[in-house]
Amino acid sequence: MFHQFIYSLKTLCKNKMLLFWTFAFPIILGTFFSLAFSNIENSEKLDVFPIAIVNNDAFQNRKILQETFKNLGEEGNENQLFTITYVEKEEEAANLLEEGTIEGYLHLEEEAKVIVKKSGIHQTILKVATEEMLQMEMMVQVDIEKEIQENLKNGIALDVTQEYFEQIASNIGHQLQEKMGIKDISSSHLSYTMIEFYTLIAMTCLYGGILGMTSIHQNLPNKSEVGKRVSVSPISKGKLIFSSVLSSFLVQLFGLFLLFLYTIFVLKVDYGNKLFFIILLAFVGSLAGLSLGIFIATFLKANENVKTGVMIAMTMLGCFLSGMMGITMKYIVDTHLPIVNKINPASRITDGFYSLYYYDTLDRFYGNVFSLLFFALLLLLLSMYQLRRQTYDSI
Amino acid sequence: MNKIIEVANLTKKYKGKTAVDALSFSVFEGEILGLLGPNGSGKSTTINCILSLLSIDEGKITIFGQEMKPSAYEIKKEIGVVFQDVAVFDELTVIDNIRYFCGLYIKDKKVREVYIEEAIQLVGLEEFKKYYPKQLSGGLLRRLNIACGISHKPKLIFFDEPTVAVDPQSRNNILDGMKTLNKNGATIIYTTHYMEEVEFLCHRVIILDKGKIIESGTIDELKSLSNIEEKISVEVNNLKKSIISDIAKWEQVESVDYENGILIVTYQKGKNNLAGLIHYFKENRIEYNKIFSERPTLNDVFLELTGKGLRD
Repeated sequence: MFHQFIYSLKTLCKNKMLLFWTFAFPIILGTFFSLAFSNIENSEKLDVFPIAIVNNDAFQNRKILQETFKNLGEEGNENQLFTITYVEKEEEAANLLEEGTIEGYLHLEEEAKVIVKKSGIHQTILKVATEEMLQMEMMVQVDIEKEIQENLKNGIALDVTQEYFEQIASNIGHQLQEKMGIKDISSSHLSYTMIEFYTLIAMTCLYGGILGMTSIHQNLPNKSEVGKRVSVSPISKGKLIFSSVLSSFLVQLFGLFLLFLYTIFVLKVDYGNKLFFIILLAFVGSLAGLSLGIFIATFLKANENVKTGVMIAMTMLGCFLSGMMGITMKYIVDTHLPIVNKINPASRITDGFYSLYYYDTLDRFYGNVFSLLFFALLLLLLSMYQLRRQTYDSI
Repeated sequence: MNKIIEVANLTKKYKGKTAVDALSFSVFEGEILGLLGPNGSGKSTTINCILSLLSIDEGKITIFGQEMKPSAYEIKKEIGVVFQDVAVFDELTVIDNIRYFCGLYIKDKKVREVYIEEAIQLVGLEEFKKYYPKQLSGGLLRRLNIACGISHKPKLIFFDEPTVAVDPQSRNNILDGMKTLNKNGATIIYTTHYMEEVEFLCHRVIILDKGKIIESGTIDELKSLSNIEEKISVEVNNLKKSIISDIAKWEQVESVDYENGILIVTYQKGKNNLAGLIHYFKENRIEYNKIFSERPTLNDVFLELTGKGLRD
């Protein structure tokens, strides 16, 4: 098997098309990102930005929401996200937005409305923050009600003072800070373009699928002439495919290693200080990419070029939906079609890096790792089942 | 002689059509068996079924006395295959391609290197060891294809139309190589639709059409099946129709064709046919350029058996 492994490695390392997609394309795209987004980053740093709130009765009645916004808008507060202008009527807020004095405003009636004029990181943060706050508000209300019920049973009256609400608001504000990515765990300047590099790594991981496809094509008689020749040899199909897939995986990991080196040392990208977890996620992400390629090669009845096209298209679409061309897309998909990004491996990889960078706890990171592992194992098992029972009616 | 392959009642259907229809035949040790037939006659399908590359619908295939199946690795060790289409890695050099495929069979590195050198010599690629497949001409590529299929010195070799679209020099090299392999003890199954190659190489021939064996035997046995004893071709201009119909009436004549200034007269039997025709031309003062006589070819036999030529 070592013989097959070595020669499979040789053929992969000399395949110019594979080398381009695995090694060169991510590096070229990374360079492009670095050049294109550095200006955007300078002009749109994640700092405190102005918003307005229509301070109507509806808002006045939402004590938790009111206190949370107050907390996030308090000058000098470590949680500060916004500078808030309170206006009496929506028209005033609309005028401020029109003038460009604010990035967006919140208007509470029966439902909460966040009004923005353009899309961008500030607008996205305002929208996401408001949605998160509304959800947390609901959860806190449920908790308070439960607590009141419990206390009533025990004959104790709950002291719902202003201080109590301020404490809740401070907790929500702190959690929001983490969710919105303001907390910087790498001790370096927070980079909004990081999401682009995360999707770039996700893309490189998924391009491993092209290598996985090649492994299948080189070993099956109905896929290639070489596949016919090795199929009449005294080596089992399992051994042939395993050695080929293993070499593909190594080439893929080497490609990722080069990309990390290039982005860290040439493009000066800071991935934070959790190297082990970064490697783990890249490893699992590559496995997911490889499995996707094997799955497509096994099940899709088309020639190799068509399959490669499908693999590239799926990868690019997955990366696009997970925010490669703008973080807003990730937000839109997460909000309106969450299932898409739940099953999108590019999104899981991106989200894994994202959570690693922005959160202290690893719960979300491991959630992504396990999702990817499940995805990879499922596709591998389905492919193995299909390959094992496959007999050829024609070749 | 020992039976190397025994095919019994092999049937292969594909999309409702019967590609191979209850085929039964044997291959004996040391022989070169030609599978002859036009395109689509079932030659390649038969080989792919024998090699367990294709599933079969009915029948049994035995090689070296054991049933052939996809997991029959002990049998596969002794088999070499040269496919119709070139099956090599574009990314590997000539010698690395042969090394890779030989390495699937021969584990001992020293033995393997000796075998590889011998294969390279056999196909005449000594000067092209470091070349990549894309740098080779069509003929040289075919030779590499052969070297990859036979470098492990198999006892049984399948050649599936190895000379298609090959230049005369490479064709001669390939045919000589096959003879050498056979002399060295390999049993060969050779599919083609080039009858002159079959006549040159094969000890025995099976003629296939529409997935069925329509005839089999040695070259002489097949030729003896023909009604034609002799075929005389004459280059002659402006031959009158009355002359043609006159010749066609002769007792021993099977058929007369006249096309593009060439008169072809086939005889069922009889002696001195050539002398008789020359005499007739002299008597009738017909001028001709060339005249020659030949024995019937396998193509003539095939034409008689199936009503169509081998390359149709």
